[in-house]
Amino acid sequence: MLKRYRYKSLLMTGLAVYMSLIAFPSYATKEVTIAVYSNFSSLDPYDTNDTLSQAMAKSFYQGLFGFDQDSKLVNVLADSYTVNEAGTEYTIFLRKGIKFHDETDFNADAVKATFDRVTNPDNHLKRYNLFSRIINTEVINSYTVKFTLNQPFSAFINTLAHPSAVIISPTALAKYGKDIAFHPVGTGPFVFTEWNATDYVKGKKFDQYWKKGLPKIDTIIWRPIIENNTRAAMIQTGEAQFAFSIPYEQAKLLEKNDKLVLVSTPSIIARYISLNVTKKPFDDVRVRQALNYAINKEALAKVAFAGYATPIRGVVPAGVDFAVDYGPWPYDPDKARELLAEAGYPTGFSTVLWSSYNHTTAQKVIQFIQQQLKQVGINVAIEAMEVGQRVARVESVPSVDDAEVKMYYTGWSSSTMESDWAITPLLATSSWPPKMYNTAYYSNPVVDEKLQQALLTNDRETKKILYKEIQDQIWADAPWIFLLGDKQLYVHSKNLTGMSVMIDGSFYFEDIDLH
Amino acid sequence: MLNYFIKRLLGLIPTLFIVMTVVFFFIHLLPGDPARLVAGPEADDTVVNMIRHELGLDKPLWQQFGQFFINIINGDFGISIRTKRPVIDEIAMRFMPTLLLTLTSMFWSVLVGMAIGMVSAVWRNKWQDRLGMAFAVTGISFPSFALGMMLIQIFSVKLGWLPTVGAASWQHYILPSLTLGASVAAVMARFTRSSFIDVLHEDYIRTARAKGLKESVVVIKHSLRNAMIPVITMMGLQFGFLLGGSIIVEKVFNWPGLGRLLIDSVEARDYPIIQIEVLLFSLEFILINLVVDFLYAAMNPTIRYQ
Repeated sequence: MLKRYRYKSLLMTGLAVYMSLIAFPSYATKEVTIAVYSNFSSLDPYDTNDTLSQAMAKSFYQGLFGFDQDSKLVNVLADSYTVNEAGTEYTIFLRKGIKFHDETDFNADAVKATFDRVTNPDNHLKRYNLFSRIINTEVINSYTVKFTLNQPFSAFINTLAHPSAVIISPTALAKYGKDIAFHPVGTGPFVFTEWNATDYVKGKKFDQYWKKGLPKIDTIIWRPIIENNTRAAMIQTGEAQFAFSIPYEQAKLLEKNDKLVLVSTPSIIARYISLNVTKKPFDDVRVRQALNYAINKEALAKVAFAGYATPIRGVVPAGVDFAVDYGPWPYDPDKARELLAEAGYPTGFSTVLWSSYNHTTAQKVIQFIQQQLKQVGINVAIEAMEVGQRVARVESVPSVDDAEVKMYYTGWSSSTMESDWAITPLLATSSWPPKMYNTAYYSNPVVDEKLQQALLTNDRETKKILYKEIQDQIWADAPWIFLLGDKQLYVHSKNLTGMSVMIDGSFYFEDIDLH
Repeated sequence: MLNYFIKRLLGLIPTLFIVMTVVFFFIHLLPGDPARLVAGPEADDTVVNMIRHELGLDKPLWQQFGQFFINIINGDFGISIRTKRPVIDEIAMRFMPTLLLTLTSMFWSVLVGMAIGMVSAVWRNKWQDRLGMAFAVTGISFPSFALGMMLIQIFSVKLGWLPTVGAASWQHYILPSLTLGASVAAVMARFTRSSFIDVLHEDYIRTARAKGLKESVVVIKHSLRNAMIPVITMMGLQFGFLLGGSIIVEKVFNWPGLGRLLIDSVEARDYPIIQIEVLLFSLEFILINLVVDFLYAAMNPTIRYQ
């Protein structure tokens, strides 16, 4: 009798303990789920090229420099820096008293280990080309490190602020080697706990985070949800507290929901059509200008983007350092016809427009462009390409003579937030495919030379003048049809604060909190 | 019987070999360079060449094929180009969710489909038949994408009863299996009906009725068994298709299954995953066909295999 009673009480105690275990955490923990639009390719920021994976990896990693909420360049793990006269040596002074998640001290050795890894081509890292200018990383003392570059490169600090340029724990690097992508160890606000490749990436609060009082939440969960409508449904059911991006069609509906906040912010994602200037009739600047006049960008934004886009106002998107504002290219079909007649095409011509994406928005864009160009007598055959086709027919084409690309609808986002990365990969002669993404095969010695010069100087005023001249030249040459800048749409629940989408499409979540 | 079984299993090997060869050369014919795709738009050609070399894609095609073949024989299925995880892990972690979803969908849809089919056949051209066939036509023609979205809107967003995405608990299975099973149930209903109608006209059914058997016995014992042969064939086919992972349903419910993996892999030209996954699908199809053949024999003792 007694025995049975004892068992029973034991069972009851056990049950009580169990109940408290499952009941308590749900009271105390603040857990935020973020639904995002695409799968993560890697948790190693040096071995991935998509903005989203790098933005997510910022939960675990930090760089020497970074961008704040307003995309201003700020010091993160670096305290300050100096540059030598020639612009080839950058000495960085590091913040003290910071620890990695595995208790390793953050110091100059960690910085050296990280950059020695990416600059070694044997490691086959995808971000190799971004850092290949570094020829040596030298430890001066525990908290001072010196980068030596093979040539002056004035955008170097911006490169160090790029979301891929994060500092990895040297202990973890030695321990995991190539598998570091599955075990991220950095100095960031969250400690990596799990990456379930099919469903989510999870991190828990780092108790020894060097910014006191942060992070304010206990668990962060990044969930890739590919289907637009499902993502929108999850934020309505409360399964996610933040969702990016949101389909334009859902914006109105979500705006009405009083538990949610819908935000649209500008971006530095520029949409344009490159015109192959080596092919007739695009070799004539008047034709290229005519095409720019022929398209009503305001209407395009309404038709294809439900209004969530704005005409671009220059070669480099506003928000990127040294961008020049020319105002939108005016819509003037009469002027377009006039220019075409002057160029010897009074009755127009026929050509082909390829799109580098095949999603619905892109389909709408190229159809709209087709109709608009028809108005000035140009017959356009359109084709939206699947990603593999695009690579085969545009990006991998070995030489300009083999290039069949004529008009090409595509986009670019300058992830280092300065003008060199917004112009050089797209418009320098050295960037013709298959080297980089100059699909216009644009080549202007003045532009090339000034791009070089701008990298050689660290004087802001000189750079400003140089980049202005470069942009003036490109705007006049019109190797592109300048179209739109995307607006980004995201939704968060009312009780979530301190998280936003930045203009480069990555996230700011330093102060993220749940009320 | 056992001999036949072993013979069929041995026949698997050349079939799989042919599938392997065809798939290998077919996907290498697809436009698009995997090295450039994984390198991304911001990589220059040095990086692309570096990656191409690392993946072994700079070797001649026949050499790559030989390597692929030798690796498979040694049980090495390779590493995914896109995620850098072992292919076997990538497939293994998605296999169970897809299998379980297939089983739950098949379970309800076969039961419901056959019931509707039988009712429609017995009460042919009556209101029961009209209702059943209206359901079947709706089930076939309603796109599963729209059905899935509609179910999410009603049961998750509006009523808040069921979760939208994931595969963690049994509640997660309800909406996807309803969506996935709807068209199967519809197909099963139509097949059962037509097969049943044929059987109901057979002489042995007339004989059974003439013996004075109850109509329920006639329908369930004498007709059902004979009507099952084409129905089982269809069931096997549907089962095979569902095991391949329904791309649309998996996308809508963010299901961690094989269909999504295949689509992601094709987009990234992730050769190792595509090859092994297609191989797995063919294996599944062949095995299901084998099982179907044995079910024939179980259903109809006049069928014998030598």
